[in-house]
Amino acid sequence: MKALILIDKEYQTDIYEQLHNTIKDYFEQKKFELDEIKIGKEDLAFCMGCFGCWVKKPGECVIDDTMSQINHKFINSDVVICLSPLVFGQFSANIKNALDRWLPNVLPFFITRPDGSTMHPSRYKSYPRQIVIAYAEDIKDEDAELVVDIVKKHRRSMDVIVYKNSQAKLLESLNNIDMMRVGDEL
Amino acid sequence: MSIVSRRVILVNGSPKIKSNQSVSELFVNLQENSMKEAGIDVGRINVRDSITLGKTQEDYLEMSQADAIIFTFPLYIFCLPGILMRFLQDYQQFLMKQNLTIEKEQKIFAVVNCGFPEPDINEEAVRVIKSFSRQIGALFGFGVMIGGGGMFLGTIDAPFMKKTKAELYNAFDQMSEMIIKMELSPMENRFIKPNFPRKLYLFAADREWISAAKKNGLKKRDLYRRPYLK
Ligand SMILES: Cc1cc2nc3c(=O)[nH]c(=O)nc-3n(C[C@H](O)[C@H](O)[C@H](O)COP(=O)(O)O)c2cc1C
Repeated sequence: MKALILIDKEYQTDIYEQLHNTIKDYFEQKKFELDEIKIGKEDLAFCMGCFGCWVKKPGECVIDDTMSQINHKFINSDVVICLSPLVFGQFSANIKNALDRWLPNVLPFFITRPDGSTMHPSRYKSYPRQIVIAYAEDIKDEDAELVVDIVKKHRRSMDVIVYKNSQAKLLESLNNIDMMRVGDEL
Repeated sequence: MSIVSRRVILVNGSPKIKSNQSVSELFVNLQENSMKEAGIDVGRINVRDSITLGKTQEDYLEMSQADAIIFTFPLYIFCLPGILMRFLQDYQQFLMKQNLTIEKEQKIFAVVNCGFPEPDINEEAVRVIKSFSRQIGALFGFGVMIGGGGMFLGTIDAPFMKKTKAELYNAFDQMSEMIIKMELSPMENRFIKPNFPRKLYLFAADREWISAAKKNGLKKRDLYRRPYLK
């Protein structure tokens, strides 16, 4: 089993260190093969909104940088853990750049989900289990609620944990998640 | 009665390289019309240009001195695009480092558009701008959430868009009024979408992807490639 950890180079705070150690231990104990990618300010180009990943080079971003490597690892992992600083209630810039450029992994077309909402169909038959762990030194309740809404209101196969210094709670949340690949419902 | 002059900065946070292809740019143009008509002094900032041309510091200074800022941007994976997060995160750092405080009672508004037909999915992005406003000490006014963003370029002046265009102007005029009166209490968010059947919009969009791919020399089945399967 493979786990990929995405990390923001910009926020290497004390709380990040604690969180990172806990996560590493957790997956090592479960005998996962771990891979880490640290994303810094200069590492990834910004998405250009060109939709080339759908209509020019289907499934791949047209920008030639480390994002293709990240997407390749993403698709071939069992679990992807995104350690994201919580900024204004959402993902930090570096993490969000990677998430924007994840778009090639879905198809351009539109589908209507059972609840009436719109979504894109999946490109692959299955995806890694995705877990976002949001952390910050001081988290306002509103921001914690916001990141949970961003992840949970629109997606069926992504989990979110807000890390507020409690290792016990983090472990409990992790234990409630099935650490294996999910199907094609995004 | 003397007329107090107000200044607003209109920020386009679309990651697109060519701003004439950006739906947000169209909304910024309408905002500019509304603000100018109300006698408000208008400045414009394009986030991508600001970053690539290395002029964020002067733009940040301008933003900090304005009476109001309107952030207009597309929804990217259900929240703000990475490039706009970079711009806002660095702005907050800039304010802290320079020990600057923003203009007293500065107002901030959000105008978010998305590709899916439903305007309400933009709500979380509006809340992010609200959280940002609170953290820099500005007052959040309200958000405009626009669905069916893919339709606006090229149809905005068509007869069937008349009502939608009026709704947009109505929202922007409301912003102008709040800026002039320095109205402090926030207002309700607005939801706007083209007066066009959802099914037809999705159908047309799907056809559009196939025709765009064909223009690039691809076949329909190429769209389904799975390049990362080991
Ligand atoms: C990387 C990426 C992610 C997007 N995510 C969403 C989304 O989550 N929901 C949605 O409705 N539209 C989404 N869109 C579509 C844009 O919001 C839409 O095309 C918008 O009209 C673009 O505005 P602009 O021309 O000002 O950039 C996304 C587009 C891109 C390129």
